[in-house]
Amino acid sequence: MNTIASQFNNNNRNHVHHEINESNGGYGGVDKLELTPTMTLPPISQPTDFLRAHTDDATNPDCKIKIAHGTTTLAFRYKKGIVIAVDSRASQGNWTASQTVHKVIRINPMLLGTMAGGAADCQYWETWLGTQCRLHELREKERISVAAASKILSNLIYEYKGMGLSMGTMICGFTKKEGPTVYYVDSDGTRLKGDLFCVGSGQTFAYGVLDSEYKWDLTEEEALYLGKRSILAAAHRDAYSGGTVNLYHITEEGWTYHGNYDVGDLFWEVKSQEKSFNNVDG
Amino acid sequence: MDVVLGIRLKDCTLIATSKSVTRGISVLKEDDDKTRILNEHNLIAFTGEAGDTVQFAEYIQANIQLYSMRENDIELSPKATASFVRNQLATSLRTRKPYQVNVLIGGFDTKTGKPTLNYIDYIGTQAILPYAAHGYAAFYCMSLLDKHYRPEMELNDGLKLLEMSIKELQTRMPMDFKGVIVKVIDKEGIRKIDV
Amino acid sequence: MSGYDSALSIFSPDGHVFQVEYASEAVKRGTCAVGVKGKECVVLGCEKRTTLKLQDPRITPSKICKIDKHALLAFAGLNADARILVDKARVEAQSHRLTLEDSVTIEYLTKYIAGVQQKYTQSGGVRPFGIATIIAGFDSNDTVPKLYQTEPSGVYNAWKAHAIGRSSKTVKEFLEKNYVDELSDEETIKLTVKSLLEVVQTGAKNIEISVLKAGDVIKQLTVDEIKTYVDEIESEKAAEAEKKKPKSKD
Repeated sequence: MNTIASQFNNNNRNHVHHEINESNGGYGGVDKLELTPTMTLPPISQPTDFLRAHTDDATNPDCKIKIAHGTTTLAFRYKKGIVIAVDSRASQGNWTASQTVHKVIRINPMLLGTMAGGAADCQYWETWLGTQCRLHELREKERISVAAASKILSNLIYEYKGMGLSMGTMICGFTKKEGPTVYYVDSDGTRLKGDLFCVGSGQTFAYGVLDSEYKWDLTEEEALYLGKRSILAAAHRDAYSGGTVNLYHITEEGWTYHGNYDVGDLFWEVKSQEKSFNNVDG
Repeated sequence: MDVVLGIRLKDCTLIATSKSVTRGISVLKEDDDKTRILNEHNLIAFTGEAGDTVQFAEYIQANIQLYSMRENDIELSPKATASFVRNQLATSLRTRKPYQVNVLIGGFDTKTGKPTLNYIDYIGTQAILPYAAHGYAAFYCMSLLDKHYRPEMELNDGLKLLEMSIKELQTRMPMDFKGVIVKVIDKEGIRKIDV
Repeated sequence: MSGYDSALSIFSPDGHVFQVEYASEAVKRGTCAVGVKGKECVVLGCEKRTTLKLQDPRITPSKICKIDKHALLAFAGLNADARILVDKARVEAQSHRLTLEDSVTIEYLTKYIAGVQQKYTQSGGVRPFGIATIIAGFDSNDTVPKLYQTEPSGVYNAWKAHAIGRSSKTVKEFLEKNYVDELSDEETIKLTVKSLLEVVQTGAKNIEISVLKAGDVIKQLTVDEIKTYVDEIESEKAAEAEKKKPKSKD
């Protein structure tokens, strides 16, 4: 089994790392702390091909394992902090598996991660990221920067590149040094710093509303509403997004949860107040 | 559809990279910098597979800086830098998961006092060229540069030539690449130029 | 030989790890290195071994090594061991930049170096590093000078001023007596040179001085610059001796 596992153990890609690992472990009788947990692979000759054959519904609609894909998530930074809004639908193919998924992962009291793509991948690795951040905090007596936290995740994801991970996530946090900061990290290994990101099948619809109203000087109330409204727009137009909206706000003090809004109720409320959605009767 | 362009002039090298990052049908970022500073007189510009590009460039950056630290602040020459990068790509090509990255390295050799432009692709092709481009930009710009480039051009002429190339790309390329970041490498080092 | 210092780093019944203690002996035989913190700078100084007649002092490696743009390391002990440790530190410094997008803090660097040294006291088939180090520098975006010291055992400490190596006891006593807080750059350099002169007889040509300032500024003093400090100190000493003389005659 280990021979199969070792070819996927991608550690030696990063030569600087490699050199360090050598210097750490070369002589050591003491076990070193691995950057990544090792995993036992299934007893098949090519796990990557196996995974692709059974999970890729784009090429094979009859595939047995459907990874939850439909989503709309967004995060943007503005003068007062960061707003994060997500929908709550989990769909596997055309089947809506759940309407109450929590797509914001509370990495720690200062950091939030969003979830798009494989729910398990996001949940597992972002929780793992939380442990890494805590270890950093304990070792360095200082909170980890958002840049460093997002890079830990993106480096991890990059090691698994091409092996079937599916994630599109925003790592959001507020530190003294960086201010409000949002990083986009996805399973290609891309990591981007930016003001505003929407991720998931409903991203285009969310961008539509968000881009039209976004400005740096929003008030907290305006910003939260804009986040909520953008997810509503996506939930309305994207079949794979819906359920409820979960809202978060991040300031220097950490994140606060700003509630859960059922898209069904929210829609009528917004429609009557805004006098929008004029394509819908009622 | 990233644009990566380089022009070597009389006493400096110009590097221009497009600012957009696209995933699927969305533009995710419109102020991206697809270059990394390797040392005081060497700049790498990159395009290719998402994820690979930045990982590769930053890995090269760390190693070049490590070299300076180890060798008493000696700066790797553009030629040595390019050879190192080429070797890394050629080695990587023979592994299970090669880096799919194409790069341009703009440099200024402080010993000879000459600017250089190195073209290297993911297969390990390396060439010293007066002007070079990767990706779709090459299709539009190479003929234009063949026609208008002169080796004795100064920075100002170079910037005009670059502007001409960018304008052509903006007219003919189907996608908006959100403009370019332009950097100059000369004897003073590396600096960004507003265009 | 008691048998507890033969093959491995293992405890003797009374709790000593002899190999580590022998490593400390190697440090005591190494040339002296001094670090002094000023108000806005840290100064590292060390005694240069007397160069042989045919040795080229210009390209003989220095005992003060640059780890990163903002950090210097001076050592006392086995030169060859130091090279290995310094290289590990440099790799770590770059790796830190690569993965954390930030330069190493001086404390982190110290902890890393001390960690490596510790590992070599608890692993099979290796011997400890025969060096003690003084690590100096400034954290990024910070103006507070930092000065640390590590030992072969892996112990590390922060200091205002410290010395390691041959006759370090004398130098440390001198520093304890003469150190004051908030020294200016000039005063810090002078104190460093003066403390070194306690144990270096041959003067400026056998002293090496590096000055660190906030914002990645590292300056290595030339022999002439050091000489001016040495001359100044010596004339002061002479003047003092002159003052004392008549009294002793009385």
